[in-house]
Amino acid sequence: MKSEMPPHIHIGTSKDKFMLKTFTAMLVPAFIAVLAIGEVAFYHLMIAVGTALGIHYLIFLMQRLKNKKPTYPTPYSPLVAAMIVGLSMPVLAPYWLTASVSALMILVFKYGQGYFFTRKYVNPAAAAKALLLVGLSIMIFLSEPLRTGLIFHPHHLRLDLLSAEGFSSVDRFYSTDSLTAFRSLILWKTHGWLGGVSGLAVLVVGTLLTLWAKLKWRIIVSLLLTMAILAAATGFITGGYVLLRIAFHVFTGSVIFLAFFMATEPQTTPMTYTGQYLFGFSLALLTFGLQLFNVLGGSIIALVILNIFTDKFDKIVLRKPYGHREVKT
Amino acid sequence: MSYPKYFMEKGGFKMDISMKHGAEKNPFITLNPPERAVIFMQQHIGVCNGPLVKKGERVLTGQKVGDAVGKMRVPVHSSVTGIVEDIREVYHPVLNRLETAVLVRMEGSEEMKPLPSTNLDSRKEIVDMVREAGIVGMGGAAFPTHVKLTSKGVHTFIVNAKESDPNLVCDVRLMIEKPEDIVKGIMLMVKALNARRIIFATRTREGEIPELEEIMLEHGIEIVRVTPSYSVGSEKLLVKELLGVEVPTGKFPPDIGVVVNNVSTAYAVYRAAYLKEPLISRGLSFYSDTTGIDNLWFRAGTTLRELMEGLEHETRRYDRFVMGSLMMGWSVGLPHTPLLKYSAGLTALTPEFPKPYDEQLKCIRCGYCDSVCPVDIYPSLIMKAEKEDDIDALKRLHVEDCILCNLCSYVCPSRIRLTKHLWDGKDKSRA
Ligand code: SF4
Ligand code: SF4
Repeated sequence: MKSEMPPHIHIGTSKDKFMLKTFTAMLVPAFIAVLAIGEVAFYHLMIAVGTALGIHYLIFLMQRLKNKKPTYPTPYSPLVAAMIVGLSMPVLAPYWLTASVSALMILVFKYGQGYFFTRKYVNPAAAAKALLLVGLSIMIFLSEPLRTGLIFHPHHLRLDLLSAEGFSSVDRFYSTDSLTAFRSLILWKTHGWLGGVSGLAVLVVGTLLTLWAKLKWRIIVSLLLTMAILAAATGFITGGYVLLRIAFHVFTGSVIFLAFFMATEPQTTPMTYTGQYLFGFSLALLTFGLQLFNVLGGSIIALVILNIFTDKFDKIVLRKPYGHREVKT
Repeated sequence: MSYPKYFMEKGGFKMDISMKHGAEKNPFITLNPPERAVIFMQQHIGVCNGPLVKKGERVLTGQKVGDAVGKMRVPVHSSVTGIVEDIREVYHPVLNRLETAVLVRMEGSEEMKPLPSTNLDSRKEIVDMVREAGIVGMGGAAFPTHVKLTSKGVHTFIVNAKESDPNLVCDVRLMIEKPEDIVKGIMLMVKALNARRIIFATRTREGEIPELEEIMLEHGIEIVRVTPSYSVGSEKLLVKELLGVEVPTGKFPPDIGVVVNNVSTAYAVYRAAYLKEPLISRGLSFYSDTTGIDNLWFRAGTTLRELMEGLEHETRRYDRFVMGSLMMGWSVGLPHTPLLKYSAGLTALTPEFPKPYDEQLKCIRCGYCDSVCPVDIYPSLIMKAEKEDDIDALKRLHVEDCILCNLCSYVCPSRIRLTKHLWDGKDKSRA
């Protein structure tokens, strides 16, 4: 019977509960993706989850056999990371690519980072995907890149999204028989990333998750607001349909999904409030720039770059504590 | 009735306080004086006392057995009549180290040594009486009350009756049982301070203790019903909640003309002034899984074993005891540990009682601790700086402003007790 320091009670939160909440929320965009895209989406998700969990259990078993403390005693954290991989894959991606991203994520960026460093420095799912995207982009130099496995049309890179005329091509990409490009971007788009099928659904579910799991909401708010402001400003300056600009930059690709499910990943994002606002702001600036240059998965690449500077963001400005500020009487 | 099921903390975190729900209705049970009282020399913040008695000497109930020289000194008194059996070092449950104590074995019939008479119209005599009676902050801080009462330029006197800890209810019980005496104690302190405004900060609802409310009204005491939260029980945060001002860092409420005292302290002042009794007994909320909360009136120096036997509890059933608040008190495993004159609570924990901090994981940087922190510092970053011995960072992160409320540990999903890092961080930043 020894003395124990306080406190002696706990609210009941746990890492597993946090992960389970995130996983539950992700089931909604996953379900919508399967509904909109069909079995292809289902296979992508299953492959991402199956690969990551398979590798996780292998390592878990090996650690148990060697009497080592398991790095991840429960499968929830690998499960969430795998779902993120699945949901951030492009519909066009071959299944081997999804499996590769998932394997890279769990082996190198989840277990590897945890093993070599005191904490994770980059978001595992984002880093794995960014690495493969950059690698795959080299394929544009091949004679038949699409057939070999490139997941975007090389001519996308030649699109001019800055000028009003160039931007009008967005209409072509996103409008369907029943939906204008604007509506499609917000409500329902069946090409692009799995997790971005319904921007509106992600917005609603993400907001609920933010409240439920107490995510770092300052990052989300500053990211989405800055994106919207930059899009509106560009629209006003270059002319054209401003709302479509906003819808495009906020809801295209994986921006909206990334805002709620990747940019708020606790370990790789800043702790201080000002740091979080600045992180979201910088992420928006970088993403916006990369989008204008047609860089595939620009938001993901931007996130990985900024993840590395998280510690720097934590040093910028601290909130003033009690006793250091003027309070009106 | 007075307690909701939850307190709401900053960042939307809930604190379950259902264990004290309805316990204010349980009247005080007066325990027998202990067979052997263990009186620590150090039962206040400040200079440690030296013993005034010798082994084998006969002492009376209420007789001073320890005192010291200097401003921050508060005497201690024997809580029983008997013989000084020993003077030796005993484990101190709050300081978490060995400290000198006088052990008095009860013998013969009880004889009281009353405090000397006091002119209750003299501010100086009231202050002297409070010191001689050994009165300290009864909310758990044990700050010498007479030192607070000598503060200059005090305009507002706040009675802290918030009792925000999840396991304490004895203050509200005292308010129900002794309303008139509490007000008498308050008015004496107000006289000593010459304060113009008196605020009684409580969490009870209007009409819940009508007798107390009526007497307060007669004496011009403002009753303010404060936000139901744990953190607002802290002196500095209470000042902000009530007056909208912050106590500047490194200063105390008296520096801005405010004195805060606990409701039980006011009652102790009443007993000293009108019953001539020093601080040798007080109310305490005792919690065990079988009984829930009982309100007890005990003599200081009663050991946990005697208390448990008095209540016919099997001591061995319990693995450890927490003295004071479940959020701020240390747990002790030794049943011969004594209760102090400022112990407001005791919780008996069984081995089955969940130990939520046993499976500590790595920090996941969720920021929950930062969101809940009532003084707006960053406990997560302080922990990192403390581990890295980064003194500059500790200072930049204002570790000295931590009020050690432990809410950060309470919400941590990785079950990290940040407490140690905050204490050590404070020490390192001062060094
Ligand atoms: S609450 Fe715990 S896990 Fe979360 S940031 Fe604070 S110390 Fe780390
Ligand atoms: S213990 Fe200190 S750091 Fe933790 S919540 Fe309380 S004041 Fe903030």
